[in-house]
Amino acid sequence: MAKKISKTEVIVTGFGGQGIVLAGKILGMAAALGDHRESTLVQSYGPESRGGACCAQVIIAEKTIQYPYVKMADVLVCMSQSAYEKYKIQIKPEGYLITDRDLVNPDNQREVFDIPATRMAEELGRTMMANIIMIGFVTAVTSLISEKAAREAIMSSVPKGTEEMNLKAFTRGFEYGRSKLKGREKKAAGQTGAIA
Amino acid sequence: MEEYKIILFLCNWGPHTAYQQLQDDGYQIPSEVKMIRIPCTGRISKALLFKAFEMGADGVAIVGCNSGACRYGSGTLKAENNTEDTRNIIDLLGIGRERMRLATFLPDESEALKKFLTGFCEDLKQLGKSPVQPAGLQPVEASGESAQQVIARYDVYSCQDCGKCTASCPLALSGKAYSPRNIVSDIIRGNDTAEKVYADVHACLTCGICHERCPSDVNFPEFIRDMRCLLNQTRVSGERIQPHGGFFQSLMRTMTSKDIRPNRWKWLPKDIQVDPDSKILFFGGCAPYFDAFFKKHQQVNTVDILADALRLLNFFDVRPRLLEMERCCGHDLLWSGDRTNFMRLAKLNVEMIQDLGIETVITACPECYHTIGLEYEKNGISPGFTVTHLYAFLENAIHKGAVTFKPIPHRITYQDSCRMNRREEIIDLPRKLIQRLAVEQFQEMKDSGRSSLCCGNCAWTGCDAYSKALQVKRIRQAHETGSDLLVTSCPKCQIHLRCAMEDPFQETELKMEMIDLTSLIARTICWE
Ligand code: SF4
Ligand code: SF4
Ligand code: SF4
Repeated sequence: MAKKISKTEVIVTGFGGQGIVLAGKILGMAAALGDHRESTLVQSYGPESRGGACCAQVIIAEKTIQYPYVKMADVLVCMSQSAYEKYKIQIKPEGYLITDRDLVNPDNQREVFDIPATRMAEELGRTMMANIIMIGFVTAVTSLISEKAAREAIMSSVPKGTEEMNLKAFTRGFEYGRSKLKGREKKAAGQTGAIA
Repeated sequence: MEEYKIILFLCNWGPHTAYQQLQDDGYQIPSEVKMIRIPCTGRISKALLFKAFEMGADGVAIVGCNSGACRYGSGTLKAENNTEDTRNIIDLLGIGRERMRLATFLPDESEALKKFLTGFCEDLKQLGKSPVQPAGLQPVEASGESAQQVIARYDVYSCQDCGKCTASCPLALSGKAYSPRNIVSDIIRGNDTAEKVYADVHACLTCGICHERCPSDVNFPEFIRDMRCLLNQTRVSGERIQPHGGFFQSLMRTMTSKDIRPNRWKWLPKDIQVDPDSKILFFGGCAPYFDAFFKKHQQVNTVDILADALRLLNFFDVRPRLLEMERCCGHDLLWSGDRTNFMRLAKLNVEMIQDLGIETVITACPECYHTIGLEYEKNGISPGFTVTHLYAFLENAIHKGAVTFKPIPHRITYQDSCRMNRREEIIDLPRKLIQRLAVEQFQEMKDSGRSSLCCGNCAWTGCDAYSKALQVKRIRQAHETGSDLLVTSCPKCQIHLRCAMEDPFQETELKMEMIDLTSLIARTICWE
């Protein structure tokens, strides 16, 4: 993030089985273990844990975190339409809205950073890795955690034997995120295509 | 001091009278002027004008009758066009456009002719000697190889005489009395010096379909290439089998001169960013020369491909270096049987590129890719840098990137490039890229992919009525797909197919819009 905010609140949501909570856990672990900051993770239990909208709340800060629940998020990651509908009001005006392009159809109210994460995961051979691709994308777009910390956290959280694949998935999302930022920058400078 | 050489092509009619008048008046024609009397300036082709430079002329003057006074009507106009094109070409080569001049005189203008001749001599002495060292037209250096050795290299003995090659050869299918199987058996029987064999060896398009089909894996195109090199050791291959009077071979031989300082990038549009310190070099190829040569004839515009390739690199934040003195990669010399001069070009290019400390060479031309990436090494010149095709770079960058494509309001079909189709690592790339585009429709031609039909010529060797028939067939196939835009990936395909579309007997029936894939991508790619 351009300006160093001392506390960043994140909501990751989607439907059950997308690895939403694992994504939240990796974000928090990377911040705490890799980047040596404070972090908390709260996962919502309730009807959503049975197939409906699923949610992980992560806070990353410089100082001890007193209250782990997120009311208004700086970063809202949505991986399903119902999750988006439910949480879209819980984002700060200057926050980042991040979505899976093929699964969420947002109303045109604010800027969206979208990535076809699930489609990319299919291309890589495992739909399950969409969450890891999403972490790569979030890392590149928001600089919430460092790339190195993210990779280490992934290595220690995913099942043995799948590290390589998951790192590849991370890279895919990360590169796409970088490219997205570059594209925005270029567009802002008036260069939309290759021909001047 | 070394003598200057000026070739004066002098028209038989008007100006020759003036010339004789000068001699009658006792004027000493400058000794550097070598006069060649010609029937009409319009008959002196670009190939002939250029050949004088190739052979070391310091200046060439073509002198004829005033426009309205041409005995044959349009001779002077033709000469004006040829002169203009030749001037552009020698300018690109860095020989200097001032060395080529056209002038017209009436029979009674001997004084003006005298002024012209002395003026030209003086100007040339100001310019100095031509930087061209003639590579010569003598037969190329002997390698000491025999036909038997070439046969053995490609294991041509394993030919089963099955005839699959002839049955798939597009030249044979267009009705030419031509058979790769016969060539093979003739050469095996020791008939390699027969006239018919010589002609057939030079008619082959080296497209490789026969090799694709051969059950014994006889690499016919490479066998043909080496046979050409062998047969041309004992004779000058000559213009007879080289279309455009052998102009292109002549041009490429000229580029073997160390001292010429080509300006092949001077046309570069302002919006393109290059970086003289980059470790990545963009190798352009001969497109600027093709455009200069075909300017009036078919409005070929292949430099657009280079500009668009560079724009695409820039789009992905690569600012490559350019080699100001880039020479031809040598593909056409090698494949027309002149290995000696091919080697000279290869060495020059590799030396220059290595001197710049380049690590990667990117090119958009399938022939440059094939030649620099493969043939240099095979012929004992280690490049020491990697060679990447632009499509490989693009596929990788687009795959990673947050980019998309603007809709293209066309139905497209695709002309395969022979050189690209025989390289496993890039064979799928054009179609992968095409699939990404937002076209209305992409429809393959009847013959496509590995069994695709050649555009009709390779290495400016052996263009004839049968290769024309083949081209017509190919363009009809393109029309049959219902497409309105033909996408190509080699600048030569554009040139040869465009030429076929001009066929006066077919009128406008064959016309179809063409664009190179690189340009199509460059014009529609955008950030998401
Ligand atoms: S296809 Fe191969 S084996 Fe058959 S005739 Fe031709 S060269 Fe011989
Ligand atoms: S390379 Fe092409 S033109 Fe030559 S013999 Fe084979 S199929 Fe015919
Ligand atoms: S097809 Fe090609 S080689 Fe033949 S005349 Fe046309 S441009 Fe020249």
